[in-house]
Amino acid sequence: MKFSPALLPLLAAPFAAAEHTSNWAVLVGTSRFWFNYRHLANVLSLYRTVKRLGIPDSQIILMLPDDMACNPRNAFPGTVYNNADRALDLYGDNIEVDYRGYEVTVENFIRLMTDRVPEDMPRSKRLMTDERSNILVYMTGHGGNEFLKFQDAEEISAYDLADAFGQMWEKKRYHEILFMIDTCQANTMYSKFYSPNILATGSSEIDQSSYSHHADSDVGVAVIDRYTYYNLEFLEDKVRDPTSKTTMGELFDSYDEDLMHSRPGIRYDLFDGGEDVARSRRILDFFGNVQNVEIDTGGQRNETQWKEELEAIERMIEEAKRRHNETLNVRPHAQHIVEEAEQMRTQQTIKEGAARVDEEADWKKQIIGAAALLGCAGIWAAGSLFESF
Amino acid sequence: MLSFLLLLFLNALLATVSAESDYHERLNLRPLPQSLLASFNFRSKEWASAFAQQNFRYFPRSLGQILQHAHTKELHLRFSVGRWDAENWGSRVFHGAREGGNGVELWAWIEAQNEEEAFSRWLTLVNSLSGLFCASLNFIDATRTIRPVMAFEPEGNHGNASNLHLLHGMLPHEVVCTENLTPFLKLLPCKGKAGISSLLDGHKFFDAAFQTMAIDVRPVCDKAHDDCYLEMEQTVDMVLDVDRSKRPQDNPIPRPLPIEEIECDLSKSYSGGDTCYPLKKQAEPAWTLKELFGRPLKGACPLSDEEPGSEPLCINVPPERTINISTTGPYKEARSAMDTIRCFHLPQLTEFDLVLPEQQMTTGLVRQQPQLFAARTINGHGQERGSAQSVITNPSTTDAVEFVYLESLPWFMKPYLHTLRAHVANSPENPVKETYYRPAVDRQRGTHLEIRMVIPPASTLTLTYDFEKAILRYTEYPPDANRGFDAAPAVIRILSPQQGDEKGSYIRTTPLLLPLPTPDFSMPYNVIILTSTVMALGFGNIFNLLVRRFVGADEVPAMGAGGLKGILAAKLVSLKAKLGKA
Repeated sequence: MKFSPALLPLLAAPFAAAEHTSNWAVLVGTSRFWFNYRHLANVLSLYRTVKRLGIPDSQIILMLPDDMACNPRNAFPGTVYNNADRALDLYGDNIEVDYRGYEVTVENFIRLMTDRVPEDMPRSKRLMTDERSNILVYMTGHGGNEFLKFQDAEEISAYDLADAFGQMWEKKRYHEILFMIDTCQANTMYSKFYSPNILATGSSEIDQSSYSHHADSDVGVAVIDRYTYYNLEFLEDKVRDPTSKTTMGELFDSYDEDLMHSRPGIRYDLFDGGEDVARSRRILDFFGNVQNVEIDTGGQRNETQWKEELEAIERMIEEAKRRHNETLNVRPHAQHIVEEAEQMRTQQTIKEGAARVDEEADWKKQIIGAAALLGCAGIWAAGSLFESF
Repeated sequence: MLSFLLLLFLNALLATVSAESDYHERLNLRPLPQSLLASFNFRSKEWASAFAQQNFRYFPRSLGQILQHAHTKELHLRFSVGRWDAENWGSRVFHGAREGGNGVELWAWIEAQNEEEAFSRWLTLVNSLSGLFCASLNFIDATRTIRPVMAFEPEGNHGNASNLHLLHGMLPHEVVCTENLTPFLKLLPCKGKAGISSLLDGHKFFDAAFQTMAIDVRPVCDKAHDDCYLEMEQTVDMVLDVDRSKRPQDNPIPRPLPIEEIECDLSKSYSGGDTCYPLKKQAEPAWTLKELFGRPLKGACPLSDEEPGSEPLCINVPPERTINISTTGPYKEARSAMDTIRCFHLPQLTEFDLVLPEQQMTTGLVRQQPQLFAARTINGHGQERGSAQSVITNPSTTDAVEFVYLESLPWFMKPYLHTLRAHVANSPENPVKETYYRPAVDRQRGTHLEIRMVIPPASTLTLTYDFEKAILRYTEYPPDANRGFDAAPAVIRILSPQQGDEKGSYIRTTPLLLPLPTPDFSMPYNVIILTSTVMALGFGNIFNLLVRRFVGADEVPAMGAGGLKGILAAKLVSLKAKLGKA
């Protein structure tokens, strides 16, 4: 053992933390239409924040139900602003929206969370988390007591959401979740959660509205909500770089009812270790990207063991290659049979596609039609004649 | 001497490298009335053997793997917004071959043994592309997929492959925005960091009067090399309004100019010190690339080839137009034989800008007249049926034009084929030569109508048909149902006289907005409430009739107090009586 004692704490660090190895963010806006500009601005503000703190686009699922940036009503094409000073263009030059427009539905959201997606679903639209992933779930839109509206057409209830998280826990799809919601009566949305390790916070109590912060007169509508605005303010002032040690407790303590005009709620009881542990979690455990590398210190490898393993791998590759070649030699014959069978089937299926339509300029068919009609008339006439006898 | 030799050797090396170079880019600028047409073209190729081994150099790996996975041999993908103003702008870029209908359009030749396999591969393709391009391409399902017969021809060399299937889908309502441009730029070798692609800024691009992004992948066989390669062409065409684009990005809202700065039409009777009828500007407006595109051109992309004839930046203006160059690096200008086209070799790693001052022109460029003008509208009124009308005009005084007219209608717009009328004013001859038709099946597939027609010189063809509007199920309405439903643009392919190259020449109409009968979406709740009320009233009355006995008021034994008190009092009395007996 030639480890210097100075290295030991470094090696031990991952075990002390022994926590998550990846970070994911699911950012959901749920309202359509131009006057809900602020909800998309909320979501995009969070998108910029988590991107700034290091979560890559591939681990952010962004759901935008309407197009605000290229909306004909937008006087600033290709931009979304969350402040009337218009200092930061949230849409920017580099953005990847995973679910947009009509794709933002309750069904798609629950399928995404529980990974019950169709076979052809591309990777960018899937939440590929495991039991070591921390997930930030942020939702904003219009809601009420125990429901949140999606696109003004359907609702997700607090029970649906709780069951989705419950299923995720059963499927080992998360380590810890931070659930944030900015909507009217937001705190009711997390009241039904039952699965462990969820830290939840919302903008307003039951029977309380969640208010917008301010409007931009050139954009013409409100640009951000109060709860999100003050969260962002804290994140921008106190969490400046990806090494920040600021804790969730400090964030929650910064919530000011007078500024938010509603009473934000926090739910600690599901969290393993309760309030104290939850409050001591770093903000970057959810908003930043931590890729902990576990160093295997169990066995001391020596040179010979290393070489032996390499040789073993080489043998495996050789074996695989040999088998591949063998199958190559065998395959053509088998394939031929398969092809023949398939050709037989092709002949049987009817070709799909448009059929040629010709206008009937043919006299023959018209004569046949006229004859048929005359025949019918004759039978009818004969029938009535017999009837009259 | 040695240094000279070295130079020679270097030159030779450079020449071979450039001959081998598989990436090429070109920006063509062409002024249009008060606007500028910028057409970007990026071409990269990959030899077939390298492609099969997934050895990608300029060809983007992400797209290459999707094509291999979905067995797609040729791919055409379009993102478009806006309308090409043919009356003022003339003929389209590439004769419309690199343009799509509003929204997203996709067609591909897929290798498969049979129709079902082709369709399942098509679904794989649209789903993968939807992830790559951040667009809802996965909404191209069976109801939006057609198999055109005459409107599209493969551009690539497919040999005599018989198992290729052409599938085509359109999403007219799809929004095109920055999230589509981002992956488009990421496919380029220089990724928008250098070369002409550094000019592509979403803020200006999505403010343009007309914009289209195209991706075309096709196999090309090179007889000289006796080998085939896969060519990918990325095209961006946009028409920028010069005045609009020059507005600063942080303050794009037009504010009125002070009256002193406006040129007034003094011939108007009411013209005075405080009233002004603004004169239309005749001079060519002043602009620079940086002003129009919102960012500077950051030198040449070092990966593109540098042969003569492959300059990355060309501008098509009359010879008298003044063009000043603003750069610190070395550049080369090349004038073509026609001298209306000036091309520039860009310096590397230094910014390059064209500065064009305002100029009164005496000569103009000849604008090529389009072969056809097409417009399509919905006529009729009411919630039940309507009719669609296409007006196609042939401006040529000498040539008849033969074309294919393709419509792909959604299933809820059901045309009556027997009402289809095509007639040319002042001509008794039927312009319809051939018709392919596939009727819609509710919720399973849309209508596919393809007609080959001939339109005589200097005449107008009118095509009309009636259709019926379907009534959707409650859950089938989108969240913004009252906006209306989009019907995809009609595609017109001009067969003869042929202009352009093997890509063909195309025109697309604008999409249609079809108002369908939409219910009041609170209606189910009204129904539930009303039904409950009726139920409660009816049930309550019948229940009362069954279980109650109705007696006259005087027959009721006198009760001291009604209600609970009375009942209790009665019970007490009876209890007392019982106790008394006992």
